[in-house]
Amino acid sequence: MTISTLTFQTNALAEMEALQTALTQTQTELSTGSKLPNAAADPAAMEQVNQLNMTLAASQQYVSNGTAASANLQLEQSALTTATNALQSARDLAVEANNSALSLADRQDIATQLQQLQNALLGAANSTDPAGNYLFAGTASGTQPFAQTGSAVSYQGGSQVNQVQIAPDQSISAGDAGNTVFMNIPAGNGTFSTGAAGANTGSGSIDTGSVINATAWVPDSYTIAFTSPTQYQVTNSGGTVVASGNYASGSAIAFAGIKVTVSGAPAAGDQFTVAPAGKASVFSTIANLITTLNSTSLSSGQVTTQIGTALRQIDNALSGFGYVQASVGGRLNAVTAAANSAQTTQTELQGTVSQLSSTDYAAAVTQLSTQELALQAAQQSYASIAKLSLFNYIS
Amino acid sequence: MGDILSTGVSGLLAFQQALDVTSNNIANSSTPGYSVENINLTPEPAQGTAGGYIGSGVEVQGVTRSYSELLAQQVRSSQASYASYNTLATQAGQIDNMLSGSGTGLTASLQSFVNALQTLSTSPASTASRQALLSQAQALTQQINSYDSQIRTYGSGLEQQIGVDVQQVNSIAGGIAKLNAQIATDIAGGQTPNQLMDQRDKLIDQLSQYVSVTTSTQSDGSMNVYIGSGQALVTGGVPQQLATIANEYNPTESDIGVTSAGGTTNVTSEISGGELGGLLSARSQVLAPAQNALGLISVGLATIVNQQQASGMDLTGAQGQPMFAVGPVQTDPSSHNTGGATLSVTRTNLSALTADDYRLSYTGGAWQLKDVSSGQSVAVSGAGTAASPFQAAGLSIVVGGAAAANGDSYLIQPTEAAPAGLALLLTSPVQIAAASLAQTGASAGNSGSGVISAASITAPASWVPGTYTLSFTSPTQYQVTNSGGTVVASGAYTQGQPISFAGAQVTVSGAPAAGDSFTIASSTAANSGDNSNVLAMIGALSARTLAGGTTSLTSAANNLVTQVGVTTQQAQANASAQQSVNQDAATARSNLSGVNLDAEAAKMLQYQQAYQAMAQVIQASGTMFNSLMDALKYG
Repeated sequence: MTISTLTFQTNALAEMEALQTALTQTQTELSTGSKLPNAAADPAAMEQVNQLNMTLAASQQYVSNGTAASANLQLEQSALTTATNALQSARDLAVEANNSALSLADRQDIATQLQQLQNALLGAANSTDPAGNYLFAGTASGTQPFAQTGSAVSYQGGSQVNQVQIAPDQSISAGDAGNTVFMNIPAGNGTFSTGAAGANTGSGSIDTGSVINATAWVPDSYTIAFTSPTQYQVTNSGGTVVASGNYASGSAIAFAGIKVTVSGAPAAGDQFTVAPAGKASVFSTIANLITTLNSTSLSSGQVTTQIGTALRQIDNALSGFGYVQASVGGRLNAVTAAANSAQTTQTELQGTVSQLSSTDYAAAVTQLSTQELALQAAQQSYASIAKLSLFNYIS
Repeated sequence: MGDILSTGVSGLLAFQQALDVTSNNIANSSTPGYSVENINLTPEPAQGTAGGYIGSGVEVQGVTRSYSELLAQQVRSSQASYASYNTLATQAGQIDNMLSGSGTGLTASLQSFVNALQTLSTSPASTASRQALLSQAQALTQQINSYDSQIRTYGSGLEQQIGVDVQQVNSIAGGIAKLNAQIATDIAGGQTPNQLMDQRDKLIDQLSQYVSVTTSTQSDGSMNVYIGSGQALVTGGVPQQLATIANEYNPTESDIGVTSAGGTTNVTSEISGGELGGLLSARSQVLAPAQNALGLISVGLATIVNQQQASGMDLTGAQGQPMFAVGPVQTDPSSHNTGGATLSVTRTNLSALTADDYRLSYTGGAWQLKDVSSGQSVAVSGAGTAASPFQAAGLSIVVGGAAAANGDSYLIQPTEAAPAGLALLLTSPVQIAAASLAQTGASAGNSGSGVISAASITAPASWVPGTYTLSFTSPTQYQVTNSGGTVVASGAYTQGQPISFAGAQVTVSGAPAAGDSFTIASSTAANSGDNSNVLAMIGALSARTLAGGTTSLTSAANNLVTQVGVTTQQAQANASAQQSVNQDAATARSNLSGVNLDAEAAKMLQYQQAYQAMAQVIQASGTMFNSLMDALKYG
């Protein structure tokens, strides 16, 4: 076979150029640290890298969402602690006031202290974040949630709470609406509330009662009427007598699956009421207690009954606060757990991205020296072969 | 003796010519396209003598070149393939590099937009978060706009290149035709014009860089040249003129035509191979699909975000306004149309929308829709009137204006113009509708454990603002009443199942008791701390809303990058394969036709020695003559 001299030259040149191009590519890979300069280099890897980078960016965003939610929840936690402390002090004062030996002046003194606690409680409930958003206003974060008119406090906030995504499939509430925390607290014992009629003349008082048999409880308004100081009968709202008996101070009166205890000396004609429990705000509980303590007209039985109810409702509120605080704590833990697991995920993702797109230096350096050798060999062999010519020997 | 002399002279002349041919070969050893020439020597006719036939020297019968039509054709076809793939790879590579910037790509920008929404969800009333979202939206818009304008710039560069290539092809065709005429004349005169034939071959080689070529040699020595799938370019001494002509739907796009006395014929579909073929494939396989895909992403983004904006309330308490504007459906009538019908095309269904182009044509009194990309007919419902528009491929088409003529056609590009028109419409951070249009709440007296979700306004157009009460008449039955006490929805309660009414949707979970109730009320400006609409927007953006509910916005963006990458990679691989095929073919051809200096050196020595020997023969003849004369002198 004859080989054209021109072709020998051009082919040798083309091969050296190709080797040089490959060498430059390897060199670029080494100097940029990336083996994926564009999608054409490896479309499948590029698709994966893009996907992983999106997942990575989303994961980082979830962590920062979690951080923002944590900041809010911690503020809420501390506001709830303030509220709990104030309410605990109010409870102590109520216990102190629940003493028939106290004079009116003593009770009014306690009422004054309660008023200050009421203000502290209101302050905690109207707490804001540094940006001025109310913590307990739900979605109406720019509106002061608890407004006071006279002694009455009403809720102006929203009842919906924002969710924040802290992981791909996990959202938490970024706060709690003030109406559930401070307003909708079960009245009485949660099932029913008790009261002493305003016209009572005896010294009898009624406790907040308890449920004996939940399935037998028929929600209705019941009246415990004393036909004589030693005889009572219980009628429902339809006037039907559901129970009756002899009265002994401090012993339980049971009917319709519940029991209540009347103590003291009720007079004939005195009445006590039992009604299904509604909701009472913590503010109205304390405001009512203050009114009771300041009152000059109530009988001792009514005072005892109302302080008893207030204590029960303060306990309900305290347990409600405790429940919310536990839930906030749980959410804070969830944020931490999500952030930890996100960190692990991110490390893995970054590892995969780097595997797909970063230069494998060991392999690239080996490749570089192989290509260098090949180019050298091509150059040397070309230089020596190109010298060969028959013309050198013709003289 | 005279014979010896004349034989010697014939040899001297022949070897002189042989040395001429050899030296010409050596001189052209580096000339591309030169075919090595060989001298054909034959013995002179013998003369009969009493002692038998005695030869009378050598004769030069001609000089022929080493040439194989088959090898030349192999070089040209691989050259045309290589040029085509290489052009496609270069064009696709530009788009690939544009889209591949890691960390700055489209997927990254879409994710940044979603992340800005996420940040807003943690502080819905914050002006800073709102401003950050607007900036991200602006950046995303600008990126898509700049991709679009870059693709258009590449496109117009490509059109220019088509024009330049057409000029080149015409000039080469002219050259071939001239050479054909000269070669035919020479051959008719009994000459073999090797140099002209080499020149012609070289021109045909050059032509194969621009378009694929086939040739056929005629009996008069001229060569007919055909391009692409058989379009005649040169017939004997007559070249055809190619011309760029405006596409019937889009005048900025060039088609390729052949000009003749009868007018210009569109031969675009017949052009393949070479740089021209590569440019045409890059236009139809890379640029247009990339732009359409970018358009589909733009339409998806705008549609999803705008719909959700309408379901929400901005910081001032007003219903959200659209966040993005997007370019309309591009509809172009054919320049051949003779009727007066006009089309009005709008996008109606995001999920059914495609990145393909469509052609609506009026034939035999009926309208037919065809997917241009796949060539398939598309079923159309409706009558094409304003009351009952044609519905297909996520589009609504109303035919108006004067009557259409038979054969009229329209090109419909659902997404082509979308990215150029993508723009941010919101100007103030307060306009972002982070809050839902409605707020939910539970009655304080509820005794069951039912919990109501946030309200989502699924059909903003049918949402009637007001206060609605969702009440449970029993633990398993619910009804929804409006503020006037009219029942607007009722049904059996299933935990977690959406309850829809008046364009709104809520979900109750848990076990509500009989008599429990929930309210769903129009939001007021006070509820601007609500983030539920932002959350819904995040959900809608990551949902699979495109391509019949199979693809999300971000995966569409990722697919675009991958698709262009795959096309580029394949074109590169094909180009490199065709390059080595071309190199092999060129080597094979030059092994036959090229000059080998060693071979020429050997021939030179051979002819030189033969020439010297012939000179000796003449001298011998002289000596013989002298001997005879001497003999006569003394005899």
